[in-house]
Amino acid sequence: MTMPSDVGVIDLMIATPFRAGARTYQFLRQSLRDRESLDEFEFPAQYMFKDVPHPEAGDDPVRFLLEQMDKFGIEKGMLGVSFAEDKSGDSLRALKEHPDRFFGSLEVDPNRGMDAVRDLKRAVEELGVKAATAFPAGLYPQVPINDAKFYPIYAKCIELDIPICVCAGVPGPRVPFAPQYVGLIDEVCWYFPELKFVTRHGCEPWADLAVKLLLKWPNLYYSTSAFAPRYYPEAVVKFANTRGADKVMYAGYYPMGLSLDRIFKEMPDVPFRDHVWPKFLRENAERVFKL
Amino acid sequence: MTPYEAAKAGGVVDTAVGFPKSREDMYDFYEFIRKGSHDSATKDAKAGELEFPAGYMFKNVPKWESDDMGDPVEMLFLEHQRHGITQAIVGVEDEVGQRAVRDLPDHFFAGISIDPNEGMDAVRKIDRYANEFDLKSVGAFPSGLYPQVALNDKMFYPIYAKCIEVDVAFCSTAGVPGPRLQFAPQEVALIDEVCWFFPELKFVTRHGCEPWTALAAKLLLKWPNLYYSTTAFAPKYYPADIINFGNTRGADKVIFSGYFPAGLTYERIFNEMPDVPFRDHVWPKFLRENAQRVFKLPEKKVSQ
Repeated sequence: MTMPSDVGVIDLMIATPFRAGARTYQFLRQSLRDRESLDEFEFPAQYMFKDVPHPEAGDDPVRFLLEQMDKFGIEKGMLGVSFAEDKSGDSLRALKEHPDRFFGSLEVDPNRGMDAVRDLKRAVEELGVKAATAFPAGLYPQVPINDAKFYPIYAKCIELDIPICVCAGVPGPRVPFAPQYVGLIDEVCWYFPELKFVTRHGCEPWADLAVKLLLKWPNLYYSTSAFAPRYYPEAVVKFANTRGADKVMYAGYYPMGLSLDRIFKEMPDVPFRDHVWPKFLRENAERVFKL
Repeated sequence: MTPYEAAKAGGVVDTAVGFPKSREDMYDFYEFIRKGSHDSATKDAKAGELEFPAGYMFKNVPKWESDDMGDPVEMLFLEHQRHGITQAIVGVEDEVGQRAVRDLPDHFFAGISIDPNEGMDAVRKIDRYANEFDLKSVGAFPSGLYPQVALNDKMFYPIYAKCIEVDVAFCSTAGVPGPRLQFAPQEVALIDEVCWFFPELKFVTRHGCEPWTALAAKLLLKWPNLYYSTTAFAPKYYPADIINFGNTRGADKVIFSGYFPAGLTYERIFNEMPDVPFRDHVWPKFLRENAQRVFKLPEKKVSQ
């Protein structure tokens, strides 16, 4: 039950520190209705998180992030990238200068139709991204996980042989959860049995259903993004310890909502069995994301 | 020479043709429709009865006894020469169609039909045929699928995306189908959503769009890449809404297709055709030019 310290952790959700004042969740404002979210929150899910990190990264956020990763034994991190140099400059540079430490993912918006499909192909070819990512409840308009608009994206992920990481469960930001109801995943896994589908952000409160589906669908996986280890759902930890050792993967949430300090302080208390730890921290991600 | 005769002499494209089959083979071919039917006239039809599930609507359906059958490619090509068809899109999913497009590449062009129930295999099928042939059309019959799949169903979306990627026209039956299957999956209104989400998709309706032809004309005007083809309709039954649209703002949007040999002879089609009240400038577009443009067929010089 002891967490090993030498496995070379792969973190499936990490980012370079935000440039000064750039922690923008502008994309969510169109969907938010409550005054607190609109007028007072800097981070739309901040009511759930204690001590949201505000690292002082200096003038080299890439170097800063690498130092943080070294400190906590993180060998590789998945960074969200885009083609927009102004928004993704640090991440793009990180991928280019440290391909042994970082790999990229592309956030998709199915509202963009074929342009989203084409961007994904281009991101794999030009940026070498290893995954697509999506936030169904955060899109404007929202797009449910099982919506027709997602289907060409799923088909393209299969063709490109990359997983898609999708937020599932009630989202923190105060937008409707319906597009991320965990039950919607069933239909997608049925129609696209080849699709490697990785849930993000907890699947709560439908963790029991998530476990049922993880067992049922060979290419469905769970990643722990946005959850501090002390809050990993019991059903998921139990599943990893029994039949799901190959299906649960570590993802953090730094610097969006959790400090690495907190994550790795709490991590040793997660009651994973010995054989689960290396799979959870590294090996499953290596396999699913073809690293 | 009337404008119609002049246009016809310049060549005719038929965008959906089958090869002659014996009555027994046609009966076998329609098994997919009997499978989804509930009425006994269709479902329990034996060979020699309702061999063609929409047969109740058609007079004088072409039929060949086994003994009459020659080489289907030759039979169809001779039929085309006799009636002035200069280019045709045929199915290439069997040996006959593949031989036709290889032996007569100026005349026959490749089409396939797909079933979204096959998931990614249907998507890959388009890639596979596009790589092997110069694929011109991907066809679907939403009411005839088992289970049925509606035109705006998510299962069709990866197919539409793939058609855009390989730049091939998608053709679907729309409107109430002849066979006694539910029409809901091909209701014309469903096309609106597809054309909205996939503005680049070249979508060609087949089999009439009836009774929603006024809506079809509205959508044809609204969506630049939506087209209408006249498959399965004898010219005397071309909907007035569509002829009117072809004569006004839709000269580039209405495309001739026959229904040989499934339900109509070319004799009948071209006997009735001169009476269709298309305006002079519409005829060459309708008979040939629109199809050549939408399906990316080469312009063919016809010796007159």
